[in-house]
Amino acid sequence: MIQLLDRIPDAVFRVLSVIVMAFLLILVIFPVYFMATTAFKIEREIYSELTWIPVHPTLDNFDAVINSFRIPIYLRNTLIVAGITTSIVVVISVLAGYSLTRLQFPGRSILARGVLFVYLIPGSLMLIPMYLIIIKMRLQDTYMGLVLANMSFAVPFCTWLMMGYLRSLSAEIEEAALIDGCNRLSALWYVVVPLSLPGIVTAAIFIFNGVWNEFIFALILTQDEAHRMISVGLSNFYRSDYYMIGPMMAGALIAMIPVVLIYIMAQRFVVGGLAAGAVKG
Amino acid sequence: MSQQSVMGQAVAQPIPRKKKSSLRANEAWLGWLLVLPALIVVLGMVGYPFIEAIRISFTDRMIGRGPGHWVGLKNYAYVLTWPSFDKMVLRTIAFTIAAVSVKTVVGLILACALNQPFRGRNILRGTFMIPWILPSYIAVLVWKWIFDGQTGVLNQILMNWSLIEKNIPFLARQWSAIGLLIFVMVWKGYPFYALTFLAGMQTISPELYDAAKVDGAGRFGRFWYITLPSLRPVMGVVILLSTIWTMNTLDIPLLLTGGGPSDYTEVFPLLTYHLALQNFRLGEGAAVPILMLPIIAILVYAVATYMDKEANA
Repeated sequence: MIQLLDRIPDAVFRVLSVIVMAFLLILVIFPVYFMATTAFKIEREIYSELTWIPVHPTLDNFDAVINSFRIPIYLRNTLIVAGITTSIVVVISVLAGYSLTRLQFPGRSILARGVLFVYLIPGSLMLIPMYLIIIKMRLQDTYMGLVLANMSFAVPFCTWLMMGYLRSLSAEIEEAALIDGCNRLSALWYVVVPLSLPGIVTAAIFIFNGVWNEFIFALILTQDEAHRMISVGLSNFYRSDYYMIGPMMAGALIAMIPVVLIYIMAQRFVVGGLAAGAVKG
Repeated sequence: MSQQSVMGQAVAQPIPRKKKSSLRANEAWLGWLLVLPALIVVLGMVGYPFIEAIRISFTDRMIGRGPGHWVGLKNYAYVLTWPSFDKMVLRTIAFTIAAVSVKTVVGLILACALNQPFRGRNILRGTFMIPWILPSYIAVLVWKWIFDGQTGVLNQILMNWSLIEKNIPFLARQWSAIGLLIFVMVWKGYPFYALTFLAGMQTISPELYDAAKVDGAGRFGRFWYITLPSLRPVMGVVILLSTIWTMNTLDIPLLLTGGGPSDYTEVFPLLTYHLALQNFRLGEGAAVPILMLPIIAILVYAVATYMDKEANA
């Protein structure tokens, strides 16, 4: 069988791989292209004529989405929650990751193993108790409530990522620093943190994106429009009976800009972190 | 980093190092001190909710009606005797297997294609990341509009090309809704597979391929005898982890189909959501994911043992 397949000439494989890539590329580009162009179309063009390029380009959709749909408020809220969550979680996780990979102490291996299990607890199981806990703490419709809920998945994930990164990093420089009279904490601050900066940046990007992409907690933990996250704000377009496609696509385009920018700026970190095999997909 | 940590994450185990005993006593409290903040968060925001979920599943708690009463196994009995519960479990498993296997095959093919040297490869690789970096809610909103039965782009295109006579409500028909839900999950997920597989492929030594060429292996033979076996550790971890994530995906089905038409796309996270947050029956809602825990526990156990096995191999 293998011998038989081996007789297929190389050229066939080359043509096949071009066809496959072209097909997949169309599937990737098609929705993004339609989202981007529809954002600039007038209503008639969206509903009744199928055009590939906006015939009457307009900024009305952006105007609507910014001035009547309060997208800027949702963006601000998401930015605040993502920013706070990322800064807290990175600090906590770097400390924990360092401790669990570099220090020897009783109970360490159980804790290190626990990180993976905690990370894999199904989100749907956490949904109901998290909702009740946040209400009990009177944190519904607050940034704090959203930060806490997002931390529940970000801390185990980021700790796991940092552990993976630190393990791939040689401990020798750090040990040299210890011999030269550094204590553990100054070695962590002056040696380990600078050396693992790429890993820390990767972790920070993943957490920021994770919060930006989070929908379920944002949906159940906030009712109040002043604290609404962009994910809920955008999907509300679809929950009404009348679809406002134009503003929705303009809003989607605005909402994806931050994640795309971060990704482009940090692509080399992300690809490395992705290879760490620890990323949700 | 990329080269080592593909294997590194899969196989990493703490490297035992000899330390002086005076250092070790000091390290014990420092170790716990540094772990403490993370431990508090995990115990408070994961451990406590986990126990709460189990406790709530034994009560008749409803939203806005106080703490509820102990009802024993009544919620479990209700969920288990519910006419379509077994169908829901099978449906969840079928969706997961379908999505994961398509993601694996497409990811593998794309990784092979991108592993060839050609001009513009980096740009192409970046472009294929788009579905993965795009937030789910945006991806789903756009696809949902494309498939829409009234004004959807797909219907408009098919009409323009005279392939159909009148609009088809794709998301309101059983089989197209099932197919499209799997499609969107695959669309969102396969780039992750492709890029991790690709990173794994790039760690394979070119000498192996040269040796195989000398032995007369063609392109397919080299893929079968070298690429696949070398990728096994990476593939194993990615597939197992992704199976768990795919099974637990709530936002894509919730936004795309909401479980409909009828309940043909109602997977278990969605059932929890519907019972708890639409019908306000928190106890019964909590019982659903707990009933699914054995399946997830087996998968988690498989991930953990697989990683250990690769570590010791």
